Amino acid sequence: MSRQPAAGSPPRIAAILQRYGTALAGAGVITFFLVMAPNFSSPGNLLNIVKETSFLAILALGFALALTVSELDLSIADIASLAAVTAGWCIQAGQSPGIAVAAALAIGTALGAANGFGVTVLKVPSLIMTLGTAAIAKGISFYITQGVAFVGRWPEGFTGIARGATFGVSNLIWSLVLVGIFCLFLMKSTQTGAHMTATGEAEEAARLAGIATKSMKRLGMILAGVLAGITAILLAANLSSAAPNMAGDFFLYAIAAVLLGMTMFEPGHPNVPGTVLSALVLKSLGNGLVLLGAPYYAQDIVLGAVIIGSVALSAGFMQNAAFKV
Amino acid sequence: MTEVSPLFSLRDVSKRYGAVEALTGVDLDVYSGDVIAICGDNGAGKSTLIKVLSGAEIASGGEIMLAGRRMHFRSPQDALAQGVATIYQDLALAPRLSITANIFMGAELTRPLLGRFLRVLDKARMAKQAEAYLKRLAVSIDDMSTPVERLSGGQRQAVAISRALRWNANVIIMDEPTAALGVRETAMVLDLIRRLRETRHTVVLISHNMADVVAVATRVAILKSGRKVFDTPIDGMSAGRLAGLIMSGGQ
Repeated sequence: MSRQPAAGSPPRIAAILQRYGTALAGAGVITFFLVMAPNFSSPGNLLNIVKETSFLAILALGFALALTVSELDLSIADIASLAAVTAGWCIQAGQSPGIAVAAALAIGTALGAANGFGVTVLKVPSLIMTLGTAAIAKGISFYITQGVAFVGRWPEGFTGIARGATFGVSNLIWSLVLVGIFCLFLMKSTQTGAHMTATGEAEEAARLAGIATKSMKRLGMILAGVLAGITAILLAANLSSAAPNMAGDFFLYAIAAVLLGMTMFEPGHPNVPGTVLSALVLKSLGNGLVLLGAPYYAQDIVLGAVIIGSVALSAGFMQNAAFKV
Repeated sequence: MTEVSPLFSLRDVSKRYGAVEALTGVDLDVYSGDVIAICGDNGAGKSTLIKVLSGAEIASGGEIMLAGRRMHFRSPQDALAQGVATIYQDLALAPRLSITANIFMGAELTRPLLGRFLRVLDKARMAKQAEAYLKRLAVSIDDMSTPVERLSGGQRQAVAISRALRWNANVIIMDEPTAALGVRETAMVLDLIRRLRETRHTVVLISHNMADVVAVATRVAILKSGRKVFDTPIDGMSAGRLAGLIMSGGQ
């Protein structure tokens, strides 16, 4: 038998466009604002965009990890808000920053684990399970704060986590770099990542191959919770305040970043570079529109269009992937 | 067959689903290097027999001996650990993952990073071995990172068989491997089965296609209403004669 090409390989240029087309378009959007939007290119504004990107990208990477095991986590933003409120509560009560950080991470982990338990043991579809968790987390946030934000002069040991800099680079950027490298390493270089991917792609085939598919689903959802906890710490530390629903604005942006990310680098698969670049593009888009004088609501309209457009664009790649509920 | 002891044997195997007896007192001896076709009309018990053999179902009675040892398969993983792999009709592949990822699914190769503390995927070694597995089946595909969904039906079957080889399976159960394939692809799959036979693998083949069965099988066992009614070497049997045997229940 002679050497054969795979039956349906796309031509080379089409393959390159499929892989990098939207990434190039995203770069085009940023370039457009760099040229056209007044003050967009000022160092202060660019730093602000990058900082905003770190919150969004870390939260979105959690959504991407859950989506990798083919589960939708709609609770990430409310988990992040509750974790932030919990950290704020600890700080207000005079606890050390270490305790506040641990409490926020514990909340994220616990709610992620609860989602995983609901999906794999109680067999509740993730769409429903995480909506429920979101509502519960929101309720508890309001209970803890009684609807009022925790604000005050918080210790630098806590606020420095986000506002400080290490080797001259903002800690927020370091956080994103570390989380990004961790996710990339997990997904691309470890056996666990390969098992998570196989679970999300073909659960029955993975199970027959001896992969502990339920554990992989739980792991994906727990990691989504942990990253929501990290986002919460950074948000609260940056604002030195914590309020119920403080991460709410990031929710749709995070989903959009993951979906837009799925149109680039590895089309059809949630992926780390795609998610991070898309988060940067979305934050630039929001910022640029404001600087160009577009009305506030234009951002929401553009965001909705991006969500629908990216799924439509990659519908071919996504056919049997992520959206089983 | 010159060997004295069979590679695996079924003795008086039965399977009941409530009041329905799907298999009754089935005896079967399969020798190393056999390609045994299990034939029969719809509802004859072929699928049940395969499920029992592959560990997907537990027999209600009787015993399965593999290399002289009594086996109790409780799951497909149990059977796999003993070298019995099943290639299901839908192939159980992940279509959007690469050839390498499919062949090594659940049994990825790793190498140490930072001493003994951390192990990472050894992608280069996996790709090389994946290519070697396919080569053993005389199938050569340019790029091991190609998603399986871009392969032809025959190439996919080769990936599924390679995965069984990767698990060191010496008994490979194939459920309707040529169903829904074109003429050329079917010829390719039959070639794959011949290769397995040449390398002393034992193949249990379920097929409705009589021409395929007489082309590659060394023996055929015919089931009817859950009983084995006929068991014979193929020895130049024609497809027409085989079809006749199945319809008449081996008479």
